[in-house]
Amino acid sequence: MSFLSKVEKVLSARELLYTLLLVAVIAPILSPIGLPIGISSRTRDVYNYIENNLKPGCHVYVEVYYEVAARGELEPALMALTKQFFDKGCKIVYGSLISTGPIVFSLMLAGAPDIFAGKEYGKDYVFLGYISGGESAAASLAKSIKGTVKVDNYGNPLETLPLMKEVDSATDFDLVVIVSSGTDTFNYYVRQWYTPYHTPLLFAALSVIAPSIEPFVGAKQAIGMIVGQRGAAEYELLVGRKGLGIASMDAQSISHLLIIVFIVLGNVVYWGMRVTSRGGGRK
Amino acid sequence: MVVRRVLPQFIVSLVIILMLIFYFFYINDDVAKTFSADDKALSDWAVIISSFALIVGGVDIFRFHLTQLRRGGLKQAPFSVVTLIAELTMVVFGAYGLALSYLNPALGITITTQPQFRWLYTYVYAPSDSAMYSILVFYIASASYRAFRVRNPMALLLLIVAIIVMLGNTSLGALIWPGFLPLRDWIMTIPNTAAFRPITIGAGLGVIILGLRMLVWREVSWMGRRE
Repeated sequence: MSFLSKVEKVLSARELLYTLLLVAVIAPILSPIGLPIGISSRTRDVYNYIENNLKPGCHVYVEVYYEVAARGELEPALMALTKQFFDKGCKIVYGSLISTGPIVFSLMLAGAPDIFAGKEYGKDYVFLGYISGGESAAASLAKSIKGTVKVDNYGNPLETLPLMKEVDSATDFDLVVIVSSGTDTFNYYVRQWYTPYHTPLLFAALSVIAPSIEPFVGAKQAIGMIVGQRGAAEYELLVGRKGLGIASMDAQSISHLLIIVFIVLGNVVYWGMRVTSRGGGRK
Repeated sequence: MVVRRVLPQFIVSLVIILMLIFYFFYINDDVAKTFSADDKALSDWAVIISSFALIVGGVDIFRFHLTQLRRGGLKQAPFSVVTLIAELTMVVFGAYGLALSYLNPALGITITTQPQFRWLYTYVYAPSDSAMYSILVFYIASASYRAFRVRNPMALLLLIVAIIVMLGNTSLGALIWPGFLPLRDWIMTIPNTAAFRPITIGAGLGVIILGLRMLVWREVSWMGRRE
């Protein structure tokens, strides 16, 4: 067996890649390297839009649409955005078109006591809970929230909540944020909130979803997009609250680098073997 | 024939026509208000029906696994038993929470805030869900290593773009070359959008055609029929 074949065999062993990947993910989390994180112009544009366009007392609707599996990538963005909205004096109505919404919202609430400190439920923020019906529910909420759901996630009648006396339909909101691990949710809000009412939309999406919803941002149907772990980390830096997004960036960098090294080495060996076999053929 | 085929198709056609009228037609403000209210009523029906569909789904899973227990043999039995126990447990605690929200609203307990339901979700479902998703990293890494072989110029282009986007997504990329981040953004906003926009438009046109086919009774697959 030639040297290159031996290298190919070693690289192809899943155990090696899996072990190295495990170390590459865990080690930087246990012992952060602190690699500097640059802020992309796209994330800064989103931050600047909120800073320049939302005034104290403004109203924001936030769609919490992700499962626990996507929490690591989306929750940091949700927390950072919530902090910015509260810092700006905005009031937030959270809702969820996915059944896992109430649980991930409660996890977010438990993980950000500093953000919600001093904020009164019902006055500064409200959580509607899970609303079934997908796009039909989004359409119905856009027309009238109180006409769609009667009580919030905790069983409080919406008429008794001061914030819900200020808002009811899509036109009452200055911004709608969709934090979603699915592609369809963004389509729902573009079709049911932006197209008929022109309510500005902001997307927070998984890296893997971002390419498919990019056309909406390009067509100005959304004011911008926070993409994946990196976008969340950048936003945490911008709002000045270091969280899970920044903490995971080192792990993401090292694991990505490891995969790139494996891909490059794999190709070097592949081409080395091809050239060697051709050379052998000529002899 | 009439009940199983004609009536459902008639209802679907009627709903499509009504939705089109409510959404697109404007006569005057009063009519528009009425249309808007009717449109909302139809959307609300969909919300209510989908809520009941969830119950049907739950019952169906239960029935399916009961059947599996009877016919599936020993190999399938453990999985079906776990599913049935898990479903029953969550339903019992959820129903208890729902009952409390009506019987004693002062407690502020609902389905999702019922302590046992919440505990099971947070400490059983959530870690399992996260673990399943996390395992993907190993498969993706392994698949990337095998798939990104430069066998032709197109594969080389794909590899270069993949590496730029990967490095652009990391903080390490900027240390290697500051241009990775703007280059990633350019790839995402220009070539990527150019590729995805036709797909999005195509899907939109597909939905319109599907709606038209349903309107004229040509589309029957939603009734479980082939033609």
